Amino acid sequence: MPSRLPLPAPARGSTAPARHRAARSGGAGRAHVAALDGLRGFAVAAVLLFHAGQLRGGFLGVDLFFVLSGFLITGLLLGEASGRGRIALAAFWGRRARRLLPALCCVVVVTVAATWAWGSTDQLRFALDDMPWVGAQTVNWHYITEQIGYWNSSDTRVFAHLWSIGVEWQFYLVWPLVVAVAARGRCGERIVASLAGAGALVSLALTVSLGAAVDTTRAYEGTDTRGGALLLGAFVATAPVRNLARRVPRRAADLVCLALGCGLAVAWTVTEGEKAPLLFQGGLFLHSVTAAVLIVLMAQVPGTWAARVAGSRLPRGLGELSYSLYLWHWPVYLLLLPRLSALGDWGGIVVAIGVSVVAAAVTKRFVEDPVRFRAGWARGRRGLIAVVTVALAGAVLWAAVPEPVPGAGTVDVEQLR
Amino acid sequence: MNSKHKSRSRSSRRPARRALGAVGAVAALGLTLAGCGEKGSGVKDEGKNKSTTRTGTKVLWVGDSIAGAEAPALGAALKAGGVEFKDSSSDGGGTIVDSGEKITRMISGDTWKQLTKNIDSFRPTVIAYQVTTYDWGSKDKQRAAYEKLVGTAKDAGAEVVFVPSPPIKIDGFYKQHEAQMRTAPEVAAEVARKSGGTAAFFDASQVWGTDASAGKAQRASDGIHNCQQGAAAFAKWFTGKLGEREGFTPASVDTWAQKSWTGDERYSKLRCAA
Repeated sequence: MPSRLPLPAPARGSTAPARHRAARSGGAGRAHVAALDGLRGFAVAAVLLFHAGQLRGGFLGVDLFFVLSGFLITGLLLGEASGRGRIALAAFWGRRARRLLPALCCVVVVTVAATWAWGSTDQLRFALDDMPWVGAQTVNWHYITEQIGYWNSSDTRVFAHLWSIGVEWQFYLVWPLVVAVAARGRCGERIVASLAGAGALVSLALTVSLGAAVDTTRAYEGTDTRGGALLLGAFVATAPVRNLARRVPRRAADLVCLALGCGLAVAWTVTEGEKAPLLFQGGLFLHSVTAAVLIVLMAQVPGTWAARVAGSRLPRGLGELSYSLYLWHWPVYLLLLPRLSALGDWGGIVVAIGVSVVAAAVTKRFVEDPVRFRAGWARGRRGLIAVVTVALAGAVLWAAVPEPVPGAGTVDVEQLR
Repeated sequence: MNSKHKSRSRSSRRPARRALGAVGAVAALGLTLAGCGEKGSGVKDEGKNKSTTRTGTKVLWVGDSIAGAEAPALGAALKAGGVEFKDSSSDGGGTIVDSGEKITRMISGDTWKQLTKNIDSFRPTVIAYQVTTYDWGSKDKQRAAYEKLVGTAKDAGAEVVFVPSPPIKIDGFYKQHEAQMRTAPEVAAEVARKSGGTAAFFDASQVWGTDASAGKAQRASDGIHNCQQGAAAFAKWFTGKLGEREGFTPASVDTWAQKSWTGDERYSKLRCAA
């Protein structure tokens, strides 16, 4: 199993029923949401296979998640800024919370309980250690101080994959503020594009610098270093770039998308893990640029072949499940795969992925969708009570689970005499 | 803006505020719990046991993460014997040798900076340096660094003890530096021999052997670090050797070998048996 978890995070709420998808002026093309959902499906499949030890470069799927998130979020923010003249930040953050927190809370609470029941002492120890940082959406920085990459210790951490969720949340807190200020006025989108482009270049410089270290966790999980992908997504969501992409003839767009899609597939296949040479010397950045160009062409040029493939049933279905699937798969792998050794490598992987998909579907059906689409129990005061109750349940669980006593019986004194 | 729009806008803001409140609650809860400290990290410090008699010896332990995996046991053993101990090993390099490559220039710069600080604050009587897996470069580069360490220690009124790195699994990363890793302990031994008594070389192959794959090497599943039993074996051996040199009696293994240091977090990271 790969050593360090690259983990993706969910993009915006793009899987809403058609009635929730009214076109907005100025935003990224709504009509191509299905294709972008499909891209998320490919991304999450790559990550699942990478963590199962079957796709060496599959961790780059997380990078695609980041670019998609930057693109979609910035498209929404710019659409709101141009349509209403301002951005309602509290409402934006509220929507993000509704989209991301409920499933996260459920997965964390169930995972801690499952680790208590079936995990090793080390896994329980780290689950309890990491849980507060997950709750504070800062677990990526916790893992940086823990040098999780240096120790190759992701398989002792059931929440190791949540670093990317932390990166996304931290981006969501800061970037809307920047857009809210920069998008004002006639040249707003140009200013946003300049800031996103400049920010991505600064992020690249930081990645190159911080990647030249014995422990690359800082470069791999830092908000500043991985923010480059989010900012590249943001860059291609601005009007100057969108307008440029819109002028590309469909036939040319088809060819470019084919080349870019093949480029991503090759990168996912041949990149030799997160310690591949050149990854932090521009490799990740190049991957992000490729993903960003592919996304904007798929979103802005109508009817491309790539959009039709990505928007087909299977990738789109996976994309719609991608957030919960991403949250579930790593704890399921850690707790279940060791018990499936009798099924052989692929047998175990298929079962573990199947369990993850079922858990994701259940979470989407009973947690994600009701909260996002404001079902009765998830509205108003009752919704608030529900979230706080789950969060408190997590806190109570954290306090109540007996502290493991690691190390007992590991030294035989007789051997020392 | 018409009244209908206003009313819709206001009503959509209320749940947003509630959701924001929920985010705040979850984040605050997380931060509060994080602020409470890491659960399970309450490893007691055997060194605070006041019943031990102070020997006047103060050991500063320097090296890479391999030395770091030895440090919990070493600290427990030395402190149980009345020796003060400070672990200055580094998870990520720890070398004092600038081989000329960018990575070792950065690491050795940090190590020397840290060493200077520790000498000023801890005032060790012994600086124990375990040769690291990053002690690359030519023999001259290695010799220059080791001689500088001896000179620095002498100026600070301390002695130096060199310890070779245990045998480790040579993977793709280490392969290109294997020859330099082999010369480093030889050079350290030579520098100790010529130091006029300021430095000594403790040959740790007596504990680990020379074959990383042999049981005697006691490597963890990563083939590089040790687990608790290996750390205890090393600590017993090292305290015995140091006791002979410094004139103190090492504490019995019964007083420290099974204490709370065995729960150190790094052994969990190394997937050592719990």
